[in-house]
Amino acid sequence: MKGNIIKYARDNIDTDVIIPGQYLKIHDYAELATHAMEGLDPDFHSKVKEGDFILSGKNFGCGSSREHAPIALSHCGIKAVLALSFARIFYRNAVDGAFLLPIEIDQDAYDGIAEGDEIEIDVSANEIKNNTKNQTYKMKPFSEIIGKIIAAGGLFKYKPDLD
Amino acid sequence: MGQTLFEKIWDSHIVEEKQNEPSLIYIDRHLIHEVTSPQAFDGLRMNNRKVRRPDLTIATMDHNVPTTDRSLPILDQTSSIQIKTLEKNCKDFGITLFGMDSPNQGIVHVIGPQLGITLPGTTIVCGDSHTSTHGAFGALALGIGTSDVEHVLASQTMWLEKPKPFEIRVEGKRKNPHAVTAKDIVLSIIKNIGTDGGNGTVIEYRGEGITDLSMEQRMTICNMSIEAGARAGLVAPDEKTFDYLRGREFTPKNYESLVDTWRDTLHTDSDAKFEKEFTLHIDDIAPQVSWGTNPGMTCDVTESVPSPDEYSKGDANQKKGAEKALEYMDLKSGTSIMDIKINRVFIGSCTNARLEDLIEASKVVQGNKVSSEVRAMIVPGSQMVKKQAEELGLDKIFIDANFEWREAGCSMCLGMNPDILSPGERCASTSNRNFEGRQGNGGRTHLVSPVMAAAAAINGHFVDVRELELN
Repeated sequence: MKGNIIKYARDNIDTDVIIPGQYLKIHDYAELATHAMEGLDPDFHSKVKEGDFILSGKNFGCGSSREHAPIALSHCGIKAVLALSFARIFYRNAVDGAFLLPIEIDQDAYDGIAEGDEIEIDVSANEIKNNTKNQTYKMKPFSEIIGKIIAAGGLFKYKPDLD
Repeated sequence: MGQTLFEKIWDSHIVEEKQNEPSLIYIDRHLIHEVTSPQAFDGLRMNNRKVRRPDLTIATMDHNVPTTDRSLPILDQTSSIQIKTLEKNCKDFGITLFGMDSPNQGIVHVIGPQLGITLPGTTIVCGDSHTSTHGAFGALALGIGTSDVEHVLASQTMWLEKPKPFEIRVEGKRKNPHAVTAKDIVLSIIKNIGTDGGNGTVIEYRGEGITDLSMEQRMTICNMSIEAGARAGLVAPDEKTFDYLRGREFTPKNYESLVDTWRDTLHTDSDAKFEKEFTLHIDDIAPQVSWGTNPGMTCDVTESVPSPDEYSKGDANQKKGAEKALEYMDLKSGTSIMDIKINRVFIGSCTNARLEDLIEASKVVQGNKVSSEVRAMIVPGSQMVKKQAEELGLDKIFIDANFEWREAGCSMCLGMNPDILSPGERCASTSNRNFEGRQGNGGRTHLVSPVMAAAAAINGHFVDVRELELN
């Protein structure tokens, strides 16, 4: 998976700025996507490209349980969010619907990757390669459970081995 | 080794459990509302599935209902569609709905306990993060996204990774419990442990500072567990819990025998281990006011807005967050909290719109007038709260003081209906989130208790309610 970084160098990016409440009435995901990150960065929609990644600090996606948040980002073309940590409901929603990959990174990756950098994510090797800077960082591996749901393509495709 | 209350509830709801797989957990109650359920019902239809237990599923409409005259049509077309969609879905799938005209309509987390739907020892889910509120009754109550709503509708179960138990002890006695409230306790907790301090955990609130609280106050505490990042928050049930639920509309017929079982089982064993612990001493805590754009950015009413350096204690991201917050809030470091002028007041939300909240606020309001610089509204948490308040004459106290007295709903907590802040407006709000734009694009939110909001409405700025004569 290869893409460019849109970096928000702060903690606590909440679901109300990812998709403000007034848009939760929108049923059409393409239309919903036009309002993604509107609360934080009104230019987001004009700069985001298919395959981009978001990079941010701690507790990304805190707040509401609205699944609209990962949906809106994924329908803008965001394939993964790299963050120092995630709020749990956002993390779960992202994985459940296979909307995007929530990838936990360490401080080195957070500090080393800048806006616009081209990076490659290799989930099987738990590695993030920064092609722009020619650096490599470790990503925190998915737990076994989350890895299985991601590999299956989301909650509804996941069939646990129950004997 | 003994077990925590959370672990006992968890274990008694396991349908399937296997190492390195998530556990399949049975769900006792599923509450749904108009915003996070439409896609879930679409999914059921697409896959030709039914609702497995419509009898355990309860619906209401709260997030985007207007709080003005209910006999008028809803002007916002998209809201109207969402509300009609919920009506149709409930009808098609046989689900009980407390709609716009029902005396039981209200914010989902207010009506659940009020109707006796919320019970100790149960698992409760809802497509809303503040589902943690129901934990006040010793339930494991989780906010979930729409995919999980669909999964629960179809199967009455949910796959879950087991969260870790987190003990928060609240010790001591408040000197003035009318001025220093449950809201001030929970804001103090979040200020201390941070907005991600509870990440991946289920909090159990314990200690004298918690058992002293009424059920409604415990709900305020559990409600904001999610603001500390926790999956859920709960309080072990006691006689206050059992008394609260006795005789309500949906309280089970065999209630007393259930209570006997709950008394014996629903507590944390003395030798149980928590994975994380925090203690708050409340003897000397002050009323709290948030100054920033997350609930952890909070200080005492007697303090001043901190500088980004003071707040961040050397953490670069925290410092940047504080700088952005001050810019958004249009506040300068060093400004005394009591010098901050406000122009809106919102007393409402699943955090603080229950009867006790309105009673306490009315004591501050009685005989006073809202400042001419302020527009203030009261949005009761449910139609039942509204009716009970009116029976006590509270509506008259508020209306006489120039508060707007409205119909029940989520209202200005999240700005989905017409009740929003205009850009630049500054609001003293009893809700739970002060995120940028939460109450309307460009709106500025200060989280406070109902008595603090009421006092701010009258004075046009924050005041220390400990200085008022309240009883």
